[in-house]
Amino acid sequence: MSTTAPATATAGAPALRRRTRVPLAPYLFLTPGLVLFALFLVVPIGYAVWLSLRGLRISGGGPFGRREEVFVGFENYAAALTSADFLSGFGRLAVYGAIAVPLTLGLALLFALLLDATTTAAKRFSRTAIFIPYAVPGVIASLLWGFLYLPTTSPVSHVTEALGWGSVPFLSGAALFGSVANIAIWGGVGFNMIIIYTSLRGIPSEVQEAARIDGASETQVALRIKVPLVAPALVLTGLFSLIGTLQVYGEPTTLRPMTTSITQTWVPLMTIYRDAFTRDDLPLAAAASVLLALGTLVVSVVLLRLAQRRAFGDAA
Amino acid sequence: MRRRTLATAAAAGLVLALGACSSGGGDSAGADGGGDGPITLEYWAWGTAQDGMVEAWNAAHPDVQVEKTDAGGSTDSSAKLLTATRAENAPDVAVVQYDTLPAMIVGGVAADIGEHTADVEGEFNPGVWSQVEFDGAVYGVPQDVGPQAMVYNQARFAELGIPVPTTWAEFATVAEQVKQKDPASTLATFAPAEFGGFAAMAQQNGAQWWSVDGDAWTVSIDDEPSRQVAQYWQDLVDRDVIDAEPLLTPEWNAKLAAGKVLSWPSALWANGVINGVVPEQAGQWALAPIPAWQAGQSAVSFQGGSAVVVTTSSEHPEEAAEFAKWINTSKEGSAAQIEAGQYPASLVGQELTLSSAPPVQSPQQADYWQVAQRIASSTVPEVSWGPNVNVANSAFQDAFNAAVTDGTPFTEALATVQEAVVADMEKSGFTVSAG
Repeated sequence: MSTTAPATATAGAPALRRRTRVPLAPYLFLTPGLVLFALFLVVPIGYAVWLSLRGLRISGGGPFGRREEVFVGFENYAAALTSADFLSGFGRLAVYGAIAVPLTLGLALLFALLLDATTTAAKRFSRTAIFIPYAVPGVIASLLWGFLYLPTTSPVSHVTEALGWGSVPFLSGAALFGSVANIAIWGGVGFNMIIIYTSLRGIPSEVQEAARIDGASETQVALRIKVPLVAPALVLTGLFSLIGTLQVYGEPTTLRPMTTSITQTWVPLMTIYRDAFTRDDLPLAAAASVLLALGTLVVSVVLLRLAQRRAFGDAA
Repeated sequence: MRRRTLATAAAAGLVLALGACSSGGGDSAGADGGGDGPITLEYWAWGTAQDGMVEAWNAAHPDVQVEKTDAGGSTDSSAKLLTATRAENAPDVAVVQYDTLPAMIVGGVAADIGEHTADVEGEFNPGVWSQVEFDGAVYGVPQDVGPQAMVYNQARFAELGIPVPTTWAEFATVAEQVKQKDPASTLATFAPAEFGGFAAMAQQNGAQWWSVDGDAWTVSIDDEPSRQVAQYWQDLVDRDVIDAEPLLTPEWNAKLAAGKVLSWPSALWANGVINGVVPEQAGQWALAPIPAWQAGQSAVSFQGGSAVVVTTSSEHPEEAAEFAKWINTSKEGSAAQIEAGQYPASLVGQELTLSSAPPVQSPQQADYWQVAQRIASSTVPEVSWGPNVNVANSAFQDAFNAAVTDGTPFTEALATVQEAVVADMEKSGFTVSAG
């Protein structure tokens, strides 16, 4: 509001426009964004938080009393934090993430460096070939890999059985983690590779030329020049992968009907889905979702803080 | 109805139906202004039989038109009904699987329509009617039933020279014979995630998982009859006489297609499911009663089947109840049902099957519908489900999958399910005593 405006600021539209042209304009331009932000982010999050403090309880007594929503305070949070199903999901996530994140990033960096190397042939084809799995929807990828894992339909098991070694138990025991992570790696390498590759293309050629004139080999150029210079891209892809890990849902859910080894609570998001839509306990699911979101936020902030010092220097 | 649930599961949970927001206001407010235009009822249903039934109704009732919406199979549809009721935009009428009905009652979805149903109660077997009557109130009209039955690969049975078992003891013996004669084949599959099938076998053995005594619920999922059933299958699985794995996976389907799965003890709807997987084996499969726990015992329980409920949100409960009654007890409704391969719940519908041709997967079995009717007429007198069958079902799947994977006792898995169900009911505020 302009400080010079008299008390009649609310009078007519023309007067309003004239007097408040400088301070009002930014807000006007911001309004669509703010409205959308409020409608699709603030309100749903607020609703989820409110819902997480509620509970469905029987009222009226009797065996067929009606379930009604009541305020239960932090009961749902306590239940989620002490739920063995929910917590053990994080343990499985850790194992899954320990396999998926380093392999995805490692392979993505390797492929990006290879594509960037001067001597590599058929670059365009290779780039597309590695990127294509990213375009396959996760559910389709999981179904596809499911067929490759199941003993009767798996070509791998056909070979091992012909050799008399029996079928490969892709979907049971410890191999399960590798099998699920493999789907994410297969789908994720291409995307991360493109980000790192784009960053590599941005490195000034003088720097690389200087290194080569000084007698650095192609490998040395890659490791000593390129990798440090694309560190910000590595941090970014690392963050994406970490958040992606916390949100694993599609692959294990799609594989679940095919094996007895994946429970409905295999990862935290599956537990949340079960509570919300199978057990009809939306409040508990809301509480668990809030916890998961807060956890993701904390992990992301900590990771960025740590990485900023190393990758971007103190200036960032 | 059951078929859709399985098919959905087989599709590997492709569609998660997360956005369960129904936009269609169930109140159909615009249509009833002034009382002269036709009323429009909204109907949530799934399965191939529904379109024919709705068309038959609409043709016969110009004043009350019904609009069908496919809101997903039993699990999805029930979840949406609960949320839609809370959001006050539920449909007028909906199909609900019997075992989910109590959850719909305590969820405030299903309305008591007892005042409208007195004239149709006699159209059903008492065992079937007991599925919709609770505490003297009627919450739906039965639509289809899934009495347990066994479908078997007649051609492979003849090839191996094995008899069709009539008791579970015989079933175990035949299973051993199959493994001796053809080690790659299995008489049947124990599917650890098949809650409905296990529950029905336990009920066949006399189990009563939920019961009401005054104001209190009794939960006895790990009672003696159920433990016996668990031990029976445990023994077959431990001795490798029966394979234990999920049903309708690419793996299982491949085995079925190769003729390595010889039978499927399930229910009357199994014929259609088998036809969906291996249509090329039509003429090889036949229907038989499910084996009995004691020789001479003929009572079987239900695995699947559903009723049509009128919702509490409906503004036209009388017309809605009329619709629910008509499609499920009229000849026109039953004919549409049978044509689509659904086994009707009503006596008139079951009578009508006798003059129908055998279903596509079993054209060689001339007495198919007679066998079906014999099975359907000897169901256990009363099965009651609790208000949280959804919780039991999901706990059962995880517990039995874990038992099969880790080799822990099935009876322990039953105890785990019992614990989860009681804990959930107590949390909701029910009075519960463990049986």
